[in-house]
Amino acid sequence: MKKDIMAIFAVVIIVIVLIMGTDFQTVEEYYLTHTEDITDDSKTVFMTIECKTILDNMEQLEPNLEEFVPENGVILKRTEYVLREGDTAFDMLERVTKSNKISMEYSGSDSNQYGTAYIEGINYLYEFSCGELSGWMYSVNGEFPRYGCSAYKLKDGDEIVWSYTCDLGRDVGCEWEGTYE
Amino acid sequence: MNNNSAFAAIHPMVLLLYFIGEIVITMFSSDPVVLLCSFVGSVLLFAMLSSLKQFLSDLAFYLPMLVLIAVINPLFSHNGVTPLFFMNGNAVTLEAILYGFDISLMLISVVYWCKCFSIVMTTDKFLYLFGRAVPKLSLVLSMALRFIPLFRRKLKEFRAVQGAVGLYSQKGFVNKIASELKVFSALIGWALENSADTANSMKARGYGLKGRTHFSLFKFRVGDIIFLIFSAVFFVVTTAGIAVGLTDFYFYPRVAKLCFDSLKTAVYSAFFVLSVMPFVVQLREVVVWKYSVSKI
Repeated sequence: MKKDIMAIFAVVIIVIVLIMGTDFQTVEEYYLTHTEDITDDSKTVFMTIECKTILDNMEQLEPNLEEFVPENGVILKRTEYVLREGDTAFDMLERVTKSNKISMEYSGSDSNQYGTAYIEGINYLYEFSCGELSGWMYSVNGEFPRYGCSAYKLKDGDEIVWSYTCDLGRDVGCEWEGTYE
Repeated sequence: MNNNSAFAAIHPMVLLLYFIGEIVITMFSSDPVVLLCSFVGSVLLFAMLSSLKQFLSDLAFYLPMLVLIAVINPLFSHNGVTPLFFMNGNAVTLEAILYGFDISLMLISVVYWCKCFSIVMTTDKFLYLFGRAVPKLSLVLSMALRFIPLFRRKLKEFRAVQGAVGLYSQKGFVNKIASELKVFSALIGWALENSADTANSMKARGYGLKGRTHFSLFKFRVGDIIFLIFSAVFFVVTTAGIAVGLTDFYFYPRVAKLCFDSLKTAVYSAFFVLSVMPFVVQLREVVVWKYSVSKI
């Protein structure tokens, strides 16, 4: 019986730890994200989220996703946002999508071998939603960094573009040095 | 186990084809109506084939499991336009929960069909079907199918033996688990030995040799042919509907609307009839029996 009580105790503790470690938020709380007002001395970056390539590949898009592709292919038009100290491209995307109530899903840095976050979908448009070579990519000042967005430190005046590719980046202007099959 | 029921008396080939068709359709559709038809059909059939106590205890296990799978799905899938609340920054959406229900309905229907399959398709039927063509595989399969009920019986036996020797402690949950593990390891050892024995014994009796007859013989009767034709027609109608895309259904990001236009309704009703056919066969026999008894 003593062992039983110990076992029950251990289970209760595990459950408590799990619940304490879980952060529950209502929908309103989640989208209540503060983005600072732009002042003269604040550092800022520009962000755009677009999926224009889908417009050229509509036949590959899953049919139930058509309503989520804007007519001009721009999900978030070029907007200026205040940059906080130490912000990465991922932090910025997360804050911007939250404050604009755009859905965004990512897999965390601990779940892949590169140690950076991977953006699975924005605005219900997911990787592989538009053909098997499709997914989200980001560019800063017109260049596609060769590493994940949560490892890219932003600086004042950066121009971030999140674009949806239907062809492994070739259709959004990402040129790789290596070749691939 | 009820092996002498009207449904079990159908020719094994017809039964096998029926189960394959039914399970394949269930496995590869995501349309909630199709899955519900399959679920209803499988549960009704299982209710007819098993005892009431068995049926209720199974239901008490599978219904909570249905809810459990539905609740677990949102932990892994955050897609969907209707977030209910957020957990660690990830959305728990209505769509994910509904999809979880859909998937668990499919899983549990397949489990129920397989349970009915194992009740109806006894070892001798299995060997009758495949003993000629693939003797080794069919022996292994029939042994594997038989192992689970056999395991259960043996488990009870081993437990009793260990208890008699005084090695099985009933006191406390942890002790029970430790004893149970001991019993389990004995069970695995026994199973390995037993399967080797069975194989040798079958070989000694000339299993798989040419010209060897079967223990049970089955003949195609008129009833079998009627059942086969009916199920083939409904199967073809349903698969045609699925192939054309009438039962395409999606949950993400927005749940598709259920609609019942004439074509879809035709497919749904064809599949519903296909699913409840075994139940109807069983029910008919019970009714006929009751009626005959009352006349006497």
